[in-house]
Amino acid sequence: MKIELFYAPGCDKCAANRENLKAAASEHVPDVEWCELNVLDHMEYAVDLGVLTLPAIAIDGVLEFPSLPKVKQFADAIARKAASLERS
Amino acid sequence: MLTIGKLATLLGMTVDTLRFYEREGLLAPASKSEGGYRLYDEDSVVRLRFIKQARDCGFTLGEIEQLLVLRGQSEACCGDVRRRAIEKKLQLEGKIRALAAMSKALDHLIADCSNETHPIDGCPILAALEKATTSSDVEGNK
Repeated sequence: MKIELFYAPGCDKCAANRENLKAAASEHVPDVEWCELNVLDHMEYAVDLGVLTLPAIAIDGVLEFPSLPKVKQFADAIARKAASLERS
Repeated sequence: MLTIGKLATLLGMTVDTLRFYEREGLLAPASKSEGGYRLYDEDSVVRLRFIKQARDCGFTLGEIEQLLVLRGQSEACCGDVRRRAIEKKLQLEGKIRALAAMSKALDHLIADCSNETHPIDGCPILAALEKATTSSDVEGNK
């Protein structure tokens, strides 16, 4: 599973909980690919995915969290996604 | 001190616009004259220039209000403002893309109608628009 976090440098809101989210991702999905994308360097891709606010999180190329989720909300979502991937 | 009329002239805005900003809580008079007229100071001029520039950059009045609040907060930092500017750019880029798609759709319609002397009841542009509406209605009813 590939998780992409779009952020802006110097944005406090983007930095908040980043480490906790990353830890939750590693805990629930052992082979997770965690990427942090500076939106200014990836503007085209961010617009492709429909990113409008920061930070935003995409999972496997789909914008799943248009704004910063709570760690539990994020963990539940990726656990569900990992389970459905395993089933299919 | 300036009256609302002088302030509007100075900034190239209308009195109605300034009254609207006042109703929306973006502008307030510094004092009132003896005759009861609202008077505005240099801070109002700076504030209105800020609002005008932000409007030109695509910020909504609600967003401008938030920027003005940030401007007055000593604990706020540049990163907060920068993030909002980047978010506005993302919105604008998305809109530009949508407009480009619309423009491309029009290119196809224009190309389909190469005979401008064709009677109106056989106009391919109108027919295509009619067809598009019908198919989206059908999809919407599914």
